[in-house]
Amino acid sequence: MSQQNTDEQTTSEQDAGDGGSPDPTDDEMLIQTDVSESVDETSGTRRRETVVRAEHVDVWYDDNQALSDITMEIPEQSVTAMVGPSGCGKSTFLRCINRMNDLIDSARVEGDLYLRGKNVYDDDVDPVALRRRVGMVFQKPNPFPKSIYDNVTYGLEIQDKGGDYDEIVERSLKRAALWDEVNDQLDESGLELSGGQQQRLCIARAIAPDPEVLLMDEPASALDPVATSQIEDLIEELARDYTVVIVTHNMQQAARISDQTAVFLTGGELVEFDDTQKIFENPESQRVEDYITGKFG
Amino acid sequence: MATGSSQIEDFGQVSRTVGTIFRYLILAATLFGIVVLAALLVYVANDALQPATADPGWYLTFFLTLVAPTALVGWAVHRRGPAAFTFGSFLVGLLVVSLMFSGGVGLLVVDVVPPLVGFSFAIAIAVPTAISVFLTRYSHRIGFTSRLSATAFVFYLSLFGLPGPIGSPIGVPQVVPSLARAIQSIPVIPVDWMMVGTVLGGIGGAVVGSYVAGVRDARTGLVAGGLAFAATLVSAVVGPFVGLNPVPSTVLTAVTVLPTATYAWRGAFTEERRPAGLGFAAVVVGGALVGAAATSTLGFAGPQSWVDWQFLTSAHSGSAENAGLYPAIGGSILLMATVAALSFPIGVGAAVYLEEYAPDNRLTRFVDVNISNLAGVPSVVYGLLGLGVFVTYLGQAAGTVIVGGATLALLILPIVIISSREAIRSVPSNMRQASYGMGATRWQTVKNVILPEAFPGILTGTILALGRAIGETAPLIMIAAPNVVFSLPTALESKVSAMPLQVYAWSSLFASEDFYTKAVPAGVVVLLAVLLAMNSIAIVLRNRFERTG
Ligand SMILES: Nc1ncnc2c1ncn2[C@@H]1O[C@H](COP(=O)(O)OP(=O)(O)OP(=O)(O)O)[C@@H](O)[C@H]1O
Ligand SMILES: [Mg+2]
Repeated sequence: MSQQNTDEQTTSEQDAGDGGSPDPTDDEMLIQTDVSESVDETSGTRRRETVVRAEHVDVWYDDNQALSDITMEIPEQSVTAMVGPSGCGKSTFLRCINRMNDLIDSARVEGDLYLRGKNVYDDDVDPVALRRRVGMVFQKPNPFPKSIYDNVTYGLEIQDKGGDYDEIVERSLKRAALWDEVNDQLDESGLELSGGQQQRLCIARAIAPDPEVLLMDEPASALDPVATSQIEDLIEELARDYTVVIVTHNMQQAARISDQTAVFLTGGELVEFDDTQKIFENPESQRVEDYITGKFG
Repeated sequence: MATGSSQIEDFGQVSRTVGTIFRYLILAATLFGIVVLAALLVYVANDALQPATADPGWYLTFFLTLVAPTALVGWAVHRRGPAAFTFGSFLVGLLVVSLMFSGGVGLLVVDVVPPLVGFSFAIAIAVPTAISVFLTRYSHRIGFTSRLSATAFVFYLSLFGLPGPIGSPIGVPQVVPSLARAIQSIPVIPVDWMMVGTVLGGIGGAVVGSYVAGVRDARTGLVAGGLAFAATLVSAVVGPFVGLNPVPSTVLTAVTVLPTATYAWRGAFTEERRPAGLGFAAVVVGGALVGAAATSTLGFAGPQSWVDWQFLTSAHSGSAENAGLYPAIGGSILLMATVAALSFPIGVGAAVYLEEYAPDNRLTRFVDVNISNLAGVPSVVYGLLGLGVFVTYLGQAAGTVIVGGATLALLILPIVIISSREAIRSVPSNMRQASYGMGATRWQTVKNVILPEAFPGILTGTILALGRAIGETAPLIMIAAPNVVFSLPTALESKVSAMPLQVYAWSSLFASEDFYTKAVPAGVVVLLAVLLAMNSIAIVLRNRFERTG
């Protein structure tokens, strides 16, 4: 906690040194961080510290703007759902958080995006180190053409992490609700699994090295109801320690598992971002209400 | 459905005239190429193999023992299961190709690399490899840089000693002998076949062991590897009883028997279960052996082929009947080894750089275009380049293995780069994303995901490029490789000839009716057979790749 404060202060000092004037938002941030320790009187729950903070983020692919002026704060130890029609930029936003957009030549990100108070687009940020802290499950399952076991241990291997790999593999596969189906074929290729099994393998792979933020792009799109509810349980469990950001097209799912919901609409704008309950029961914007009740999309 | 009013009476016709004409035109184009090539090959093969000179009884015997049973059993096996038939045919093909490779390896072991030298270097490479594998086990505790430098140091010490080639130019005397040198100076040395058997059996055992371990489990693999190693050594003892010298028997066991037996075991007795294929292969091989035995006891003479044992094992001679290709075959093998050793790492390295690292700017696009252009530069030009750079500028002796190999390596480098890039590009981009998304560095992604996925494709491209190099004549003429050598090159600095060069010499310098009709076609057939064997490996690799990928 106190470590966090120091980090942010350093950042703001740097900013002050660079730009000549202290950045007001950083000061606000600091104040808010101080408040976050206290207990919110009205609801009785602890206000959570911000993990990811986007400020005026714009993303272009060549000349097409995919996201415009996104500003939001994602608190830790919670589930944040992103919903919105296809093509509105949800995946693009996820890729901003762990800088996967760096790999797309045509993509250009503007604005600031902070992870625990550190701007991830600063020059001194190593995107590889960032991605080790921010795990990702992709929209399309993409297991490696390696054995199931090696798929799960990939993150540990590349990060040179020690530990009992057998145990980690078993735990990760169990949490991803895949263990019972594959425990006798860990040496077989991950590509030989069904689409839904591959999706769960990718989840197991992402959680094995214990990332502090987990980005999930429609992780349940190819799963049957049983596996879906197991993954939802996993997400809720993960949110006790980590921060989960999940993209979903399933409104019930968003309502069930998320603590706050961001509604993107076509054109790449963030129309509303609030507690899930509020979004689903009493949205501010008529467009959001129309979207979540299925009137347009 | 058939309620009358909504029924369609007639769908009408769509014209296909143009399509039909186009189809027959392209068919004609295909046939033209194939027929012309086939005619040429038949013509050459007829000259070289002289099928008309055999006794009719010879043909009849082989028809009865080989062709008819093969056709019958093949048909029956194919009807019961095409997979078993394919397996059987592959097994026979593997036997034939691996026999050819045994010939090549045997040539190297018997005439080129002295057993003691080969043995000492094999040990000097095996020991540091084992050490580095051991270090990798403990990679969690030892940092990457220290591991790398430790590995490099162990290899250097083992191969060169201290201070080694770094010290000699500045006059520092050798203090610690290299492991290879140390082994070579041991006063009591084992007999040749023991050393050859240990090296080949060790390699064969390791390959068989890891293959079997992949199919079954680690313990079975260990047992199989041990058995393979033992079999290689035992064969040297058993060999003399069936008329083979100890060293050639170890080569035959390690290069032909082990792979064939392992493949047969895999196909017939593991979960694939295609013993019928094994039966088919046995019929083919048994038929050939029975046929050979029968014709020799019955006294039927086979064709007076110019491609015979004598042709394969003797050097050039003034008369076409006694001329042989042996030094040229050896020269080609050594050239190919040099070319592969030079062009593979450089070409794959360049391909990885251009695909995965290079920024997309004007310079890389310029390099791109020029690599494609270089692939089309005539080989004479490469010969001139080799002569200019290696002989004139670097002062190497002309016409040696190293100069020839380096020149041919330059020649195929663009092809290796282009095909490797193609293979790397065909690795799905979502696998890259998965790796980067897990927090892998570029190097980790290349090493763990891209190279393993692209490897079969890279290998296929390289083998096909080597096939181009093995047939090249012009660059070798340019670097003044001698047309005729009478013994195998024994060092990288020895003069070397090659199969195409020898054939060219027979048809130009020794141009006579005799050479035209005997030695030249025989040489061409051998050259084509070697090429086919190499390409068949490339094709098998590609098929495996396509099936899994
Ligand atoms: N690699 C890319 N290159 C160019 N344009 C892209 C790329 N990826 C996405 N886009 C564009 O950016 C916009 C947002 O895409 P994105 O994938 O973020 O949408 P999404 O909200 O995730 O949609 P879906 O729900 O269908 O997954 C789209 O208009 C798309 O055309
Ligand atoms: Mg998406």
